[in-house]
Amino acid sequence: MLQFALLFIMMIIVQTICNHICIFGIAIPLVYIYFIVRLPINLSVNWVMTLAFFLGLTIDIFSNTQGMNALACTITTVLRRPIFSLYFAREDDLANPIPSIRTLGTGIYIKYLLSIVLVFNIILFFIQSFTLSNIVLTLLRIVASTILSTLLIFGIDSLDNTKREKRL
Amino acid sequence: MKNLINFIIKYFSWFVFIFYVTISCMLLFDNNPYQHHVYLTSANRICSSIFSVFNNVTSYFHLHEINEDLHHRNAMLEMEVINLRNELADIKLMLPDSTFSSPAVHDYDFILAHVINNSISQPQNYITINRGSDDGITPEMGVIDHNGVVGIVNVVGSHSARIISLLNPQFRLSCKVKGHDYFGSMVWDGKDPYHAVLEELPKHVKFAKGDTIVTSGYSSVFPEGLIVGTIEEQVKDKNDNFFSLRIALSSDFTQLSTVRAIKNKRHDEIVKLSQEQASDRKEARK
Repeated sequence: MLQFALLFIMMIIVQTICNHICIFGIAIPLVYIYFIVRLPINLSVNWVMTLAFFLGLTIDIFSNTQGMNALACTITTVLRRPIFSLYFAREDDLANPIPSIRTLGTGIYIKYLLSIVLVFNIILFFIQSFTLSNIVLTLLRIVASTILSTLLIFGIDSLDNTKREKRL
Repeated sequence: MKNLINFIIKYFSWFVFIFYVTISCMLLFDNNPYQHHVYLTSANRICSSIFSVFNNVTSYFHLHEINEDLHHRNAMLEMEVINLRNELADIKLMLPDSTFSSPAVHDYDFILAHVINNSISQPQNYITINRGSDDGITPEMGVIDHNGVVGIVNVVGSHSARIISLLNPQFRLSCKVKGHDYFGSMVWDGKDPYHAVLEELPKHVKFAKGDTIVTSGYSSVFPEGLIVGTIEEQVKDKNDNFFSLRIALSSDFTQLSTVRAIKNKRHDEIVKLSQEQASDRKEARK
């Protein structure tokens, strides 16, 4: 519980720093979605949605985007369960409901993470551009941002893992 | 009744989902940036204090360039002072008994502020500064930096304020080409942070590449003659009756640090006048 509260605050701070990054004018890192990736998979969807909405809203306030991130976050959350069961059908077999490399295995975890980040980026950039007038640019931004965000999330993830191993 | 309750329990998640989506959409499609609440923008207290901490670190990064810029600007201004002094002396010789002063300059006051948050990659960009209503900032004040126009204040907290950046399609600035009286409105086309488009210029006038674009002074927000940018090329307007100019902006939005909010001492007077005019018109219609 405390762990997730800390993660919530950390994600807001990290995302605020990341807002200043824009590589080649197209790739924008959106790392705060990591919080939603890490929420226990058996947590009730209402709770996940509530947390996601308020996380998105906070990010909105910090980056002056008015509801854009909140909307994208909420929609992504609804799709989290279906995406998860796509790769990991036997939910009951999980010893630890928190998705991570150790509980899911590297392959499944990467697929799960990449899908969620991709879905989130698709939703966010389509809300952002809204009209499909410049679809090539939007698609380019989605792909570039997904790759950048995933790489950064892996960085954060490895920090988290090394910390835990030391403690053990 | 029992069925209804069962139905609500069964689909409760959907209700929660629709609730959150509705709130988000309401925020998203609220098109008037002047009516955003201060708590929902980066002008609120928590955001501004966090941004101040970040800014304490990052403000050192571009000091060299800013210093260079200021030296450049300083040299330019010194030259201008010398020129103006000479001109003034000449005019005084011609009109020995008149008291000479230009009232237009004295109408404006400046409030210095530091940029604590700035974005350039969003489709609608905003800037946060560390001065608010306690320092005399009010909504709809113009904001400039040492290079040119930056934006216009829209939401004001007690110690911070949010500015609509020039890099925001909702902000249109009335501009003219220096030396001409033809004016158009400038708007950002969303492509990159170094260029904007000056629209609605008459077709028959020819402009040269590199001409300076200045504010027209047709609103009470910006005084006349503030530098905005230089002409880069001519482009075709969306509708064929006018043409547009692509402008290289003079302010570097990637490196904003210190800005000045312009306080128009006659702003209230002008607003009151235009309101009176509006009400007069209404009465006349009756």
